[in-house]
Amino acid sequence: MTEPLSNFWTAVVNGEKKQLHIAQTTRLVDVLRSHLNLTGTKVSCEVGRCGACMVLMNGEPVNSCLVMAYQCAGSEITTIEGLLGEKEGELHPIQQAFVEEGGFQCGYCTPGMVISTKALLDRNPQPSQEQIETGLCGNLCRCTGYGGILRAVNKVIDERDRVGSTP
Amino acid sequence: MLLNRNSSGKRWHLRPDGVGKVTGQLQYLTDMTLPDMIHGRVLRSSYPYARILSIDITGAEAMEGVFAVLTSKDVPGLNLFGIATPDQPVFCEDVVRYIGDAIAAVAADSPERAALALDAIRIEYEEWTPLDSPEAAMAPGAPELHEHGPGNVLHRTEIKRGNVEEGFAACEHIVSETYYTPRQMHAYMETEGGLFVPDENGRLHVYAATQHGYKDRMQLARIIGCSEEDIRVISSPIGGSFGGKDELNVQPYGALLALRCGRPVKMHNSRKESVRAGLKRHPMKIEMQTGISREGMIQAHRVRITADTGAYATLGAPVLNFCTEHCLGPYSIPNVDVEGVSVYTNNGVSGEFRGFGGNQAIFAIEGQMDRLAEIMNMDPWEFRRRNMREKSDPGPLNQRILVTDGLSQVWEAMDRSELWQKHLHPPADPALPPWIKRGVGAAIAMHGAGLGYGIPDPAGGRLSLNAEGKIEVAFSYEEFGQGLIATLEMMLCDLFHCSTSDLSIIIGDTDRVPHSGSSTASRSTTMAWMALQRLQAPFRSKILSVASTLSGIPADELITGIEGVWRKDQLSPEVTANEPTMNSKVLVSYVDLAKHGEAEEWIFDTQFEYPTTPDNVVGGHYLYTYAAVAAEVEVNTLTGEAKLLDTRHVVAAGPVINPMGFIGQIEGGSVMALGFTLTEDAVMQDSRYTTTNLDTYLIPTIRDIHTNLEVEAIEDLPEGDPFGPRGIGEIGSVALAPAITAAIHQATGVWVNRLPVPRDQLIKPLSVSLQEGVSSS
Repeated sequence: MTEPLSNFWTAVVNGEKKQLHIAQTTRLVDVLRSHLNLTGTKVSCEVGRCGACMVLMNGEPVNSCLVMAYQCAGSEITTIEGLLGEKEGELHPIQQAFVEEGGFQCGYCTPGMVISTKALLDRNPQPSQEQIETGLCGNLCRCTGYGGILRAVNKVIDERDRVGSTP
Repeated sequence: MLLNRNSSGKRWHLRPDGVGKVTGQLQYLTDMTLPDMIHGRVLRSSYPYARILSIDITGAEAMEGVFAVLTSKDVPGLNLFGIATPDQPVFCEDVVRYIGDAIAAVAADSPERAALALDAIRIEYEEWTPLDSPEAAMAPGAPELHEHGPGNVLHRTEIKRGNVEEGFAACEHIVSETYYTPRQMHAYMETEGGLFVPDENGRLHVYAATQHGYKDRMQLARIIGCSEEDIRVISSPIGGSFGGKDELNVQPYGALLALRCGRPVKMHNSRKESVRAGLKRHPMKIEMQTGISREGMIQAHRVRITADTGAYATLGAPVLNFCTEHCLGPYSIPNVDVEGVSVYTNNGVSGEFRGFGGNQAIFAIEGQMDRLAEIMNMDPWEFRRRNMREKSDPGPLNQRILVTDGLSQVWEAMDRSELWQKHLHPPADPALPPWIKRGVGAAIAMHGAGLGYGIPDPAGGRLSLNAEGKIEVAFSYEEFGQGLIATLEMMLCDLFHCSTSDLSIIIGDTDRVPHSGSSTASRSTTMAWMALQRLQAPFRSKILSVASTLSGIPADELITGIEGVWRKDQLSPEVTANEPTMNSKVLVSYVDLAKHGEAEEWIFDTQFEYPTTPDNVVGGHYLYTYAAVAAEVEVNTLTGEAKLLDTRHVVAAGPVINPMGFIGQIEGGSVMALGFTLTEDAVMQDSRYTTTNLDTYLIPTIRDIHTNLEVEAIEDLPEGDPFGPRGIGEIGSVALAPAITAAIHQATGVWVNRLPVPRDQLIKPLSVSLQEGVSSS
């Protein structure tokens, strides 16, 4: 069998420059999971419907199963492993809210759901209920019924509200 | 109590697996890798029903990077699996019976190369016409899919009592309806897979999701032809199951390939393969005739259930038993004639799924209640009350069941609820366009827990003080998202007034846990609670007596607490575990205690069976959970879209141990039932799936749910009840469908008898015939 055409792929993943020797038709999800061992990004439907593999590419949420290596070469990619709290060892406020409100059960959709929430709130810190639903409708969850997830997202918004309104 | 974070107070317990899950650090079994691992893939049938004429694997074997190509000839032991009835071939040899049937498996140095190797396997088939429905499979002259016959019947059930003919003859009204339910897909987010690792001592380590590690181990040993001890099954954490991973799926292939190659083999099904090969909820046709007296009392009930179990048995028989038991609902009916049949077809395999056949039955029986109430011009809730069983009545199979007030309590709580009261005055909003219609419906259910009479249903557990000085529990249950580990933490902290850092919880590893049954049938919480009730006294007594010896203080003045044993006056049970009294300190730490004596002295085991009815009724349950569900629905009569606006679940399941878990299970079950009702159907045409992925198989998204779902928990149990909290893993999913279809009826006048609700039935014609003198504008 002929090896697929491959050459160097570079990108900034979670703030670190990464260089790999891979086929340019490799899917981003495989680059992350198989080549960089970042298994927080999950693989589920592989047709861009479920959002389990959601990552940020230059700040925009993308299903990493639909992005090829050549399409994201040179990009800045943030996976769930790249979300950090303000202090070392702390969770990002979105992650903290998901833990506190029970916004996960099996947890397999959770990294993608957290990434989509980050993208939503980065764009619009005060989204309406409808905007929240639109922002997260590309992420499927089979366990929670979305109740805990919505409560978590609203908690983040309320918390920012509270902190923001403090003089 | 309305269950939410506020009402839960300090019992709002953060899950120990939360941080790992929200950070992506938690490794699922499909995330695992090893440096020298290779990749396994399975070749599945090209046809739903065919004879295999020849299999040629030489091309695949010759490929570079291919380590092994296996077929039925390479199965050293039994070439069959199935948790109850092993009739599914690991590899088909001569006949394929469904589109997910496996014929060969390969291991190669990359997943891509493994896929190419599958393409290189040449198979000649003689294609046969598939039996694509139970009707086709039951037709005279239909070929028999399995040898054990007769016909293509897997299993038959019946309940007969009284005289149904006489019963109907005396009835004032009879309602006849046929209900159809879909082939629902579990749609767990993590598809099947795992890592299979042979070690240098000849043992095989299986890291793959299952709801019952010991059963997997037993089946794999049978397939491999080795002893069970030669296999270790590690089976948690699991990215969702809902019953769908109870049977073996990739395990036989991963295990056989790993042993052949002597290297770790990774398997991970694609979603399409998962759909094709995986279990589904049994599609059922349920014909019901129910007759009532002039006073509205049910006199006669005739039911015919036909279940499409697909190509292999799996748990088709127990599912039919459960459906049969539940198609009488919680009602008192003197004359009953129920017959069920589960039929082999060439369709996808149906098996265990949350609710276990109750969902289909409850949709039908509750549909009958609403239709009968309307004929009587009676309030549907009042109609149910009149016909409800008394709490001391026998269960649906005439078996003795545990007496509780659960049924009347959920009925009354729902009757009082604001949402259900809305049905008396159907909400009319003048701001809405005339084609938008709203209605409110409700349904009630009793749902059995445990496997039922006559089916081995072992339970047990181990409690110990381990060498590190942690209070350790070990169960063979699994964490597939339900929050079992958090619940165990809470039970242990309640019992020993300790903190979570004093605990070590071991589940899902056959090398480390005793055989204490499976996580299935809403049983884990009850089982764990019952096990800890048995283990706590001897364990505590041992701890306190050693602490007494070491401290010189009488044991009756001592108590377990945070970090170790305390004097009672310094840490009374009333003082919460998180707030020891000022200036107090632990008397003897668990770490010091553990150094005392032999490790075995600190281990306590228990074994028992899940409680079943004392009566000889196979499948009959003893413990039931009760629920009432109300739903407000909006129907767009131009598009046929039905949207759930509001829902309330009232659940009587005994004390709520873990409120976060309880809410999560009811909310999650409810939304899964929403999909069952409105959108989900794994459609098959000529025994092939036409919905192969989540882009065409539509599970609810965050846009489809009702954001103000309320959960009311009724926590009463009889005084001294020895069984404790009941499981609630399934009860949230069983009664929403009939509540929604009742609401649709109130909104539109349409009686829906088929799920998912067909939109075309809800569309009102656009054109209205012109009448003289009426403007058409």
